[in-house]
Amino acid sequence: MIALPRPSRRQKQGLLALTFVLLMAFPLVGGSQADIDIIANACAYAALALGLNIVVGFAGLLDLGYAAFFAIGAYSYGVLNSFQLQPHWSPFWQPFASLGLVAKLGIGAAATVHFTVSFWLMLPVSAAIAALFGVAFGAPTLRLKGDYLAIVTLGFGEIVPIVARNWPALTNGAAGLNGIGPPKLFGWSFGVDATPYYYVGIALVAFLLLVAWRLKASRIGRAWMAIREDAVAAQAMGIHTSRLKLIAFATGAAFAGVTGAFYIAKLQTATPDMFDLPVSIMVLVMIVLGGLGSVWGAIFGAVALEILQAWLLPALNGTTQALGQAVGSGFLRTLDLTSASELIFGIILVVMMLYRRDGLVPAARSGVTLAFEQQDAPISHGGSNMPILGLSHHLTPLAVAAPLAVAVPAVPAILSVRDLSVGFGGIRALKSLSLDVPEGGIVAVIGPNGSGKSTLFNAITGLVTPQSGRVDFAGRALIGRRPDQILALGVARTFQNIRLFPHLSVIENVLIGQHAHLRAGPFGILCNTPRTRAEERRAREFAAEILAIFGNRLVPRLEQNVSDLSYANRRRVEIARALAARPRLLLLDEPTAGMNPAESHELAGQIAAFRTLGLTILIIEHKLDVVTLLSDRVIVLDQGERLAEGTAAAVRADPAVIAAYIGRRPADV
Amino acid sequence: MSPTHILLQQIVNGLSLGAIYALLALGFTLVYGILELINFAHFSVFVVGAMAGLLVLQAFGLQGQSVILHGAPLVLVLLAALVAAMLACGLLGVLIERYTLRPLRAVTGPMAMITTIGVSYILVNLVLLLTRAQSLNYPDPLPAMTATFGGVTVSGKAVMIWIVAAILMIALDRFVRRTRLGQAMRAVAQDQEAARMMGVDVDRVILVTFFVASALAGAAGMIFGLYYNFADYNIGYTAGLMAFTAAVLGGIGNIPGAMLGGVIIGLIDTLGSQYIAAKWADVIVFSILIGTLVFRPAGLLGALAPNRS
Amino acid sequence: MRGSYSFPIGPERDGGVAMSYRLDRAARCGEDAGRPRVDALIGRRPGMKEISQMHLSRRHMLGGLGAAAGFMALGGAALAAGKTYRIGVTLPLTGADAEPAHLILNGILLAIDQANKAGALPGITLEAMVLNNATTTAGEYDPAQAATNARKLVGDPGVLVNIGPEMSGSGKAMAPILSMGMLATITPSSTSPSITDPAFAAEFDPGGKPIYFRTVTTDAYQGPDMANFYAETLRVPSSYILDDSGAYGVGLADAFEKQAKAKGITVLGRDRLDPRADDYTAVVTKIEASGAASLYFGGGMQAAVKLVKQCHDIVPKIVKGGGDGILSPEMVTAAGFPAAEGWYVTSASPHLAGTPALQKWSDLYTRTYGVQPSDYSVTAYDATLVAIAAIQSVTKAGKPLTAANVRDAIQASKVEGLQGTIVFDRNGDLAQHMVTVFQFAYDPKYRATDFPHQYRYVSVAPQN
Repeated sequence: MIALPRPSRRQKQGLLALTFVLLMAFPLVGGSQADIDIIANACAYAALALGLNIVVGFAGLLDLGYAAFFAIGAYSYGVLNSFQLQPHWSPFWQPFASLGLVAKLGIGAAATVHFTVSFWLMLPVSAAIAALFGVAFGAPTLRLKGDYLAIVTLGFGEIVPIVARNWPALTNGAAGLNGIGPPKLFGWSFGVDATPYYYVGIALVAFLLLVAWRLKASRIGRAWMAIREDAVAAQAMGIHTSRLKLIAFATGAAFAGVTGAFYIAKLQTATPDMFDLPVSIMVLVMIVLGGLGSVWGAIFGAVALEILQAWLLPALNGTTQALGQAVGSGFLRTLDLTSASELIFGIILVVMMLYRRDGLVPAARSGVTLAFEQQDAPISHGGSNMPILGLSHHLTPLAVAAPLAVAVPAVPAILSVRDLSVGFGGIRALKSLSLDVPEGGIVAVIGPNGSGKSTLFNAITGLVTPQSGRVDFAGRALIGRRPDQILALGVARTFQNIRLFPHLSVIENVLIGQHAHLRAGPFGILCNTPRTRAEERRAREFAAEILAIFGNRLVPRLEQNVSDLSYANRRRVEIARALAARPRLLLLDEPTAGMNPAESHELAGQIAAFRTLGLTILIIEHKLDVVTLLSDRVIVLDQGERLAEGTAAAVRADPAVIAAYIGRRPADV
Repeated sequence: MSPTHILLQQIVNGLSLGAIYALLALGFTLVYGILELINFAHFSVFVVGAMAGLLVLQAFGLQGQSVILHGAPLVLVLLAALVAAMLACGLLGVLIERYTLRPLRAVTGPMAMITTIGVSYILVNLVLLLTRAQSLNYPDPLPAMTATFGGVTVSGKAVMIWIVAAILMIALDRFVRRTRLGQAMRAVAQDQEAARMMGVDVDRVILVTFFVASALAGAAGMIFGLYYNFADYNIGYTAGLMAFTAAVLGGIGNIPGAMLGGVIIGLIDTLGSQYIAAKWADVIVFSILIGTLVFRPAGLLGALAPNRS
Repeated sequence: MRGSYSFPIGPERDGGVAMSYRLDRAARCGEDAGRPRVDALIGRRPGMKEISQMHLSRRHMLGGLGAAAGFMALGGAALAAGKTYRIGVTLPLTGADAEPAHLILNGILLAIDQANKAGALPGITLEAMVLNNATTTAGEYDPAQAATNARKLVGDPGVLVNIGPEMSGSGKAMAPILSMGMLATITPSSTSPSITDPAFAAEFDPGGKPIYFRTVTTDAYQGPDMANFYAETLRVPSSYILDDSGAYGVGLADAFEKQAKAKGITVLGRDRLDPRADDYTAVVTKIEASGAASLYFGGGMQAAVKLVKQCHDIVPKIVKGGGDGILSPEMVTAAGFPAAEGWYVTSASPHLAGTPALQKWSDLYTRTYGVQPSDYSVTAYDATLVAIAAIQSVTKAGKPLTAANVRDAIQASKVEGLQGTIVFDRNGDLAQHMVTVFQFAYDPKYRATDFPHQYRYVSVAPQN
């Protein structure tokens, strides 16, 4: 792989402006009608790829029926601006006629209605209809696992063209719609001239590019990518996964719908076989080539495939055939490379997946390298020494501001677990467990492997459904709530095996932690309203402040992918992500695992400092020195039951605990 | 024909179709059970099976419907073609797993599935280029035999399909239940990590699974060609989708479920064509696919899906 | 997974450049190295034959008409220097339909070459501007590419007339653009009636004057005439009708059904096959159960290969027939005998067998291009003769040589072609429309897969 020098922001803007000027000028400086038409078609490709990229690239949902939404958008416009439907004229239609949506054909009793809904109106309407189908189809199916979704969308993609074929009253069946009206602008019809379609196509792609770009940089885009990277962690970080998947699905469908209207207005005819499976696969190949999740990659893929098919293959074809003639090889002479294009699509898919999953124009930044000074800088420990600007301020609305000293048992429990039983198949991971966590306290849970510690966390955060028992947090029952709802109540967690979003940067991971507290809606994001911008800026500042807790361990690495971080730093990012959710109760699952003693103590100090911010902490930890240092109280689990409870010292001395640890030492390893 | 005769005749038609779908569905279910992967390459392995069988039959000098064999030569020729198709496809399946899927096993997301789509495109288009996209007249050495039972016609070829499918399914069941490898397969399907810790060579088990699944697809392709006297590069698409629906309907990951699902989809296909309209048959089947996944993702018999949290 | 679906967006960057060769080069193209050969490895994909095209129905006996003999001198005579004008050629030269498209292309090039050699237009050299209507994306003809090509033709003032397209799907996309540019096209094979139907003039002919001419009959005659043949010649009392979901197949079956009912044939059922599905036994069993005396199938070979075989197993005795979509070599190579035995098929042109002059033309074609001509090589040759004659008449009348004047001359044509005298009605369709019936019948003198020898002429289908 060759690492190209990354253009600066200014260079990028210059390049973009230049491209724009060239595109605008092309028809004016003597581009032929045919060339203009080709670029207009290419715009439709790119628009489709941008939409599928949102579904597959951003949200990680493999949609194999994408062409169905293209068809729905196309037929929506085609039916509402052609002679296909001609109901009898009645006064009912008069108001529509005065709005210009229909026209009266003929006179007297034989008069019929001719639908003439404007192209400009139908652009958003086609998008909306396609999105509506996306929602109607996605709502029941998106809760399925990703691989099931692929097959369900494949089925949907099959059904739509079959319905179009077999419903002649609406679609004119297999013969297709004829005479679809061209767009009109101030009374001037686009007709068959390619130039106006060219400009509409460029504008469409520019608009969709902007939409895709803004979405990607927003809380919605981050949530999609979080779902793609790790759906469970995304849900645990407060993302309503089914709703966001639905938004992605509908957005992709809307892109396809608007492209359908544009494409069909330009072609003025539509048949069902224009929308079969290879269309969906073809667009998939484009975004795989460009890079899943990469906005520019989608456009690159569309253009690259076009060049491959329109220019490269025919050129190669001539060469090989001439070569065959020259060397007398009948095989080469008769080889038609252009019919091998699908073979090439297949090869692209396999090779890209095996060797370059990020595509040729990857979305992820290649990692910001640190300057030597930064690498060599002495470690600053942050934590309570660092000014945590605003953090307590931000926490105030949710957390109790008054810092508590050593927990007093008399303080009411913020978390209470009663008779909690969790089982998997025949194994009972938790057996009637009860425990309390006092507000502002730090409680440690220890126990041998398999004693049910992580299962306890999963039950509290809604990732597993217990057979029986209650979990109450601040007076609210948690069982039966979704993980994202539980997070919104103020319970955040980390995972034993670190579930960060590996292909996202440090700051993005922490921003995702704030998802539940950000409010920007689709409208605000698309228009980039001052409110959205301000919210985004505050969110970034807050994320930076939280990361500053860990001193200069993470601050210089804000833009690095977390997969490039050291193990200890990943642990820190995960804790920062949980803190970003502004929890009242923080569940830490072995936060110091994989750290050396010095790092462990550093982290323990930082965790202890959280308490001064009003956080309550429930921590699973193996390192008894850390436990001793941190916790007010220790609960020992063994085989799903509470074995002992008390201060660290008391628990250590408990013969039952010693027996459990030492007696089962071999199994413990 | 009386309405009863029509119904019975369509059931006979549906059973033959269902037997082919069931064989193909088993492959989806085996691979899904172990890897939780929808293997689109399975569609094209079926095509390769039909083509491999065709080559063997042609090697025996069979062209079109011109040569009819009887007795031992017939059985030997068919067996040779069947075994060759199964071996060729089994090996192809092993290669696909080893070189395109194993490197992606640790990668999350739809990557592996996209790869199988790519593999499928490659194989189908290679067949397309090699056959010059022509429909092929599949040799048929079977003497034309039909028997009529109270007005319902059953052809010799249909009986052959049922027998071959039944033998293969029983053999698979025995293999999975009785042999060490089969038990290892079930263990891996239940919990890959636990199986690995118990000393099961997981990589080998996955390879064997692909071999078995692909060999079954090869057998399905070969008997498909014989039954319809027809093959082209495109036969895998509809058959594959129907078989996948069958696997889902029966409960993906569930071996008896795949067999049951295959037969049910075969019957729905023919009865739908008879009593509703052929043009809606596909829509009915795909609606069942979507409906099953939405309302009963475990399928009719319930998935033996691995329990991973 | 299937590989055979059409994808609509196919921006071929320039379908024309690679294919556009000068006529004098084309004259030698039988032995020309650079030219893609007709028998090139062709990814013919059955899924794509739906739209109103007809398949290669290579006629084994091509008779002849004297008209062509006039410019038959093939030699190295230097062309008169002078102005060069172009005749557009739009065909799907790659993908599923490449093979028949190249047979058509040869017919066109042959006619242009002969005209140049014979000096039919003093001081003028004609050149073929060959544009590919297919894209690799679509894998076959692509309406979007056809529209691009139409724009290219209209934008070039040197183009006087176009020959093509092969498919009505492309024709629908091209017609409005050509109409606005008042550039006439003559199609040798696109048979969808709606393009030239005055009822759809607003869609396909916004320019007002017909620009879409054909040297073939439309499906408006093929289906009904076959229904007449069923009713009057074969006297079948009842029929079951199938189509293959494609525009061509559905249109043909609809037209057959309407006329069959009018002729008193009881239509016992109508079903639609998915050409990608493989098992039609359920539908064929349904036909058997209905007791229909005959079957009519509108569609192409992808469905037909399987249907023919399964009909042979289940309903071997009833009358079976279809359109020119199944007058194809695959009937004998893939469906094969005995399954294909007895199927009736139609061709949307007169039967040209027997005359020595056409035989001579056929021999010349075969010698020049190394392959036998198809029916549509003949109609393409005729279309080109009409175009050249129209250019001739414009120059003779002393009018400026523009596309609009050539169009007017084509409308007024009366040209002796290989298939007889070609005259157009006011919509641009052939004034004379004749549908011929053939039947597949195994002739043991030839190999069973020797397509040209394994079907026979039956009669002209009754018209009314």
